[in-house]
Amino acid sequence: MNSSAVQQSAVTASNPSSSLMKRIIRNRYMYLMILPGLIYFIIFKYVPMWGLVISFQDYQPYKGILGSEWVGLKHFQRLFSEPEFWVIFKNTLVLFVFNILFYFPVPIILAVMLNEVSNAFFKRFVQTIIYIPHFISWVIIVSISFVMLTLDGGFINEMLQAMGFEKINFLMSPEWFHPMYIIQVIWREAGWGTIIYLAAMAAIDPGLYEAARMDGAGRFRQIWHITLPSIRSVIIVLLILRVGNVLDLSFEHVYLLLNSMNRNVAEILDTYVYTTGLKQGQFSYSTAVGFFKSFVGLALVMLSNRLAKKFGEEGVY
Amino acid sequence: MKQLSTRAKMATVICTAMLATTALAGCSSKDAGQANTGASGQDNGKLEPLAKITIMANLQAPEVPSDNVKKVLEEKTGTKIEFQWVPDGSYDEKFQAAFATGSLPQAAYIKNQTSFILLRDAMKNGQFWEIGPYLKDYPNLSKLNPDVLKNTAVDGKIYSLYQERPLTRQGLIYRKDWADKLGLQAPKTTDDIYNMLKKFKEADLAGGGKTIGLADRNDLVYGSFRTLSMWFGTPNGWGVENGSLVPDFMTKGYMDTMKFIKKLRDEGLINQDFPVTSKTDQTNLMYTGRAGMYIGSMPDSESMQDKTSKNVKEAQYDVVSAINGPDGKPATWALPGYGTLVVFPKSAVKSEKELKQILAFYDKFLDPAVADLLKYGIEGTNYTKQDGKIVPSTDNKLYEKDVKAYQSIALADTTNVTPAKYTIPVREKAEKLALEANKYGISDPTYSLDSKTYNEKGARLQDIIKDATYKFMTGNLDEKGFQAAIKKWQDDGGAKIIEEYNAAYKNAKK
Amino acid sequence: MVQDKNFGSRLFDAVNILLLALIAIAMFIPFLHVVMTSFATVEELTRKPFLLIPTEYSLKAYEYILSTSTIFRALGVSVGITVGGTAISMVLTALMAYGLTRRDLDGRKAINLMIVFTMLFNGGLIPTFIVVKAMGLIDSYMALILPTAINAFNLIIMRSFFQNLPDGLEESAKIDGCNDFGILFRIVIPLSMPAIATISLFYAVTYWNNFFSAIMYLNDADKWPIQVLLRQIVIMASGLAADTSGMGDDFVKPPEQTIKMAVIVVSTLPILIAYPFLQKYFAKGALVGSIKG
Repeated sequence: MNSSAVQQSAVTASNPSSSLMKRIIRNRYMYLMILPGLIYFIIFKYVPMWGLVISFQDYQPYKGILGSEWVGLKHFQRLFSEPEFWVIFKNTLVLFVFNILFYFPVPIILAVMLNEVSNAFFKRFVQTIIYIPHFISWVIIVSISFVMLTLDGGFINEMLQAMGFEKINFLMSPEWFHPMYIIQVIWREAGWGTIIYLAAMAAIDPGLYEAARMDGAGRFRQIWHITLPSIRSVIIVLLILRVGNVLDLSFEHVYLLLNSMNRNVAEILDTYVYTTGLKQGQFSYSTAVGFFKSFVGLALVMLSNRLAKKFGEEGVY
Repeated sequence: MKQLSTRAKMATVICTAMLATTALAGCSSKDAGQANTGASGQDNGKLEPLAKITIMANLQAPEVPSDNVKKVLEEKTGTKIEFQWVPDGSYDEKFQAAFATGSLPQAAYIKNQTSFILLRDAMKNGQFWEIGPYLKDYPNLSKLNPDVLKNTAVDGKIYSLYQERPLTRQGLIYRKDWADKLGLQAPKTTDDIYNMLKKFKEADLAGGGKTIGLADRNDLVYGSFRTLSMWFGTPNGWGVENGSLVPDFMTKGYMDTMKFIKKLRDEGLINQDFPVTSKTDQTNLMYTGRAGMYIGSMPDSESMQDKTSKNVKEAQYDVVSAINGPDGKPATWALPGYGTLVVFPKSAVKSEKELKQILAFYDKFLDPAVADLLKYGIEGTNYTKQDGKIVPSTDNKLYEKDVKAYQSIALADTTNVTPAKYTIPVREKAEKLALEANKYGISDPTYSLDSKTYNEKGARLQDIIKDATYKFMTGNLDEKGFQAAIKKWQDDGGAKIIEEYNAAYKNAKK
Repeated sequence: MVQDKNFGSRLFDAVNILLLALIAIAMFIPFLHVVMTSFATVEELTRKPFLLIPTEYSLKAYEYILSTSTIFRALGVSVGITVGGTAISMVLTALMAYGLTRRDLDGRKAINLMIVFTMLFNGGLIPTFIVVKAMGLIDSYMALILPTAINAFNLIIMRSFFQNLPDGLEESAKIDGCNDFGILFRIVIPLSMPAIATISLFYAVTYWNNFFSAIMYLNDADKWPIQVLLRQIVIMASGLAADTSGMGDDFVKPPEQTIKMAVIVVSTLPILIAYPFLQKYFAKGALVGSIKG
């Protein structure tokens, strides 16, 4: 499909206006395909976006958007002047970095490993097992962790004690929050995350591997030179989308892990919005915080998209 | 450039569409109020019953109930009822969305006290009918408890009917068989409590060094802390010192309670992980016979006795409500006395006459027959009577199918309700003690007061105190650190809350 | 495939399989706990909170769930919504994704950006509710499908898969006299089965798990899908619910752990059954073979 694009741009350069019409007519079916989706996005995504203006108001549900009082940037000022704002923002970013560094590569590695398995039965079996945890709610995962880690007779601490070590206060110490968080994320999501990569790998021409073997390439070199490049664009798209969700960490999960002892590292924007905004019905304020989050996300997406394009990738838009 | 203009065009389209929808959002009251158009009303007494009512309520049962109770209820009230059951977990969102779009039905339940506080503004703004002046015209509603009504007032006006709840049911549940073995009496003071826990631990009655004295959980309010703090002379949420309101954590009693629990934790007399223990894990410590004491709601003793007996045959529980404070008098924590509240949106209830009919409908909820119906279901099917008391059917699934959901719409809990007969004596005692404790219950003076700053950031500020409290009790903060947390609370807005509550308090006294 | 197994390659396979087996076990044990707990007796579970092999099995939890009177109707609703919704979503997504692959399409970048934008910004609950209400969808099953018909993430992934197809396919199809619709349905989709299977799975899981739309948009409890029912059974004990309820805390007795786990098993089962059917589309090299053939 690349070649046609190049040809087209050569043509359009000579006579822009008439060829625009021509292009549109030639692509009429493509527009027709896009149309239903476009209508969907306008009606269900863009029309409700009107609701974002309440972040500049003191919104009261019964007054409606038109009836509520306008307050300008008051809620944004409040957010930035909150004494804990920077701590919370930092915690959010740290958790995000943990996600990108320690979680993001795991499904890729797992998918590559699965892809190298030649026994179809074993491969499908492992695949099925590792994707199940995705369906277990955070509440259950956190409560299983509690049972294993508690000081009051938890399995892990009993074992540590039996081996002559001190008991470790996993659940209430700030240092253990990040490892606990990321292990739970990996456990629940890594298997599920392999699905997209496995689908991308299914499209690789086996002939490429054969050729590589002829050239005497070992397994690692095959992975490095064939498998990974073939799924590179998918990895990049997923990475950009993940970066866009930088501040959208699983609220429920963090909220369940959060307690009075680890709040200084575990309080993130989402949990903050929950206690300060939703629990107290501060619609405008929580919308303003959401707005801020989206804005940071947008900036990061645009930045990473530009970077991707610089390296010759397609990007997400 | 091209891209920009496309976007601009798109923006115009979107804006037009948005304007159309917001117009809809603003005029909220279009499609409601279809319910009743009877003949013009005369006196309250002569008003014909409402033809049909739609009620939105949160479903606090595992499933939507069968029609059995509803049919009887319709018969007794002469009104056709349509329920909009909303799952409990998403009730507030649904309520807000329905409220914002004017789609609330004639009667809508408010989930809890927190949700009620959020609606105060809307009430002041006239979104709901003020019902206070009408109550006197109804035989049952006129007898509602004025103290509880006061707790539900907004600027001194009543907008909602409340669901009765026992005021004082907090207490202490302990292993009587353990105490007997060690020759201990029921505790009367906090020293007795400490002593009992210590003895339990020393005697290691659970065996294997596994005994924990007190089982607590991650909740400073409904866990042990608040109930215990009352016994140290702490006020309930807010107290009056020298004629003005002070928050509980600035009082000596609060500090004493923290020190007490810290001591328990240091000496291993409480589960070490209590700041992160869930209710399920907490009760499991009791059920498995590892812990000997539980502080919380006394009616919990029933399930505790039942479940523990299955693991530890000889287990016997007893309840205590009256623990003497530092002044030598018993004290106990008093709740606001209401569960849910029901409000009547003006967008759905169109006329005063309709409101009166609805109130007449709800008045019947407090008639003895209807009160029993909503609490216990249908006689013969869901319960039988024995010595004038109610013996519920032991078929738990049947109870959940027929009755449980209606308990969340019932108004009566004790008034005009036939008492139940409990098979487990300790529960019977718990009920008795809960009633007696009404005399010395300590109420929160801010239940009906309003503070703008509290509404805005009270929950967030409370976290500062909560964190400091837990850190103190686990030994991560000293007294000075705790005072610093209080200072932070004050600086971040707490001082304003104190000011606003005191202003409201003086106003209300006038 | 060429069977050229030298020592290094064999060692690689051995280590790889061993590691995968260990990972599978690590992921399976907690799930085993969930399954076994659902079959355990309440008494045993109280004594052993982390239970892997119960000494006594019980079906009580399942009996309890299945005796909910509306459960089979709700199951039917869920299956209907999942199948219908996935079909609608896939058609809309595939069309739009393919439409956006053509690089010389005017406005393409704007539309792409507009899609990404919706992933970051959304108007919130109440404005969406107003739109759904204005369209007359309240109490209609369509309210569970239309507002979430296209997922921007899925759309972008699909587009990226389409874009990765080998060049030149389009040209040769055009020579054969296909128009754009023909190319999409006769060539692009058959060649993208792994992607179609993946995205269908994502949509199906989303529809299957969705409870919130049903709670918001359906007033009539008779129309509830199974997730609302199951969640209702579980919610009474969820950590979040206890914390937010404020006063109702001790009125709602937590359901037994066994029931909670049984609910997970019941709600995951249909997806577990469906997955192996999708797996055949992930077979390595399956589709490249089909191009050649």
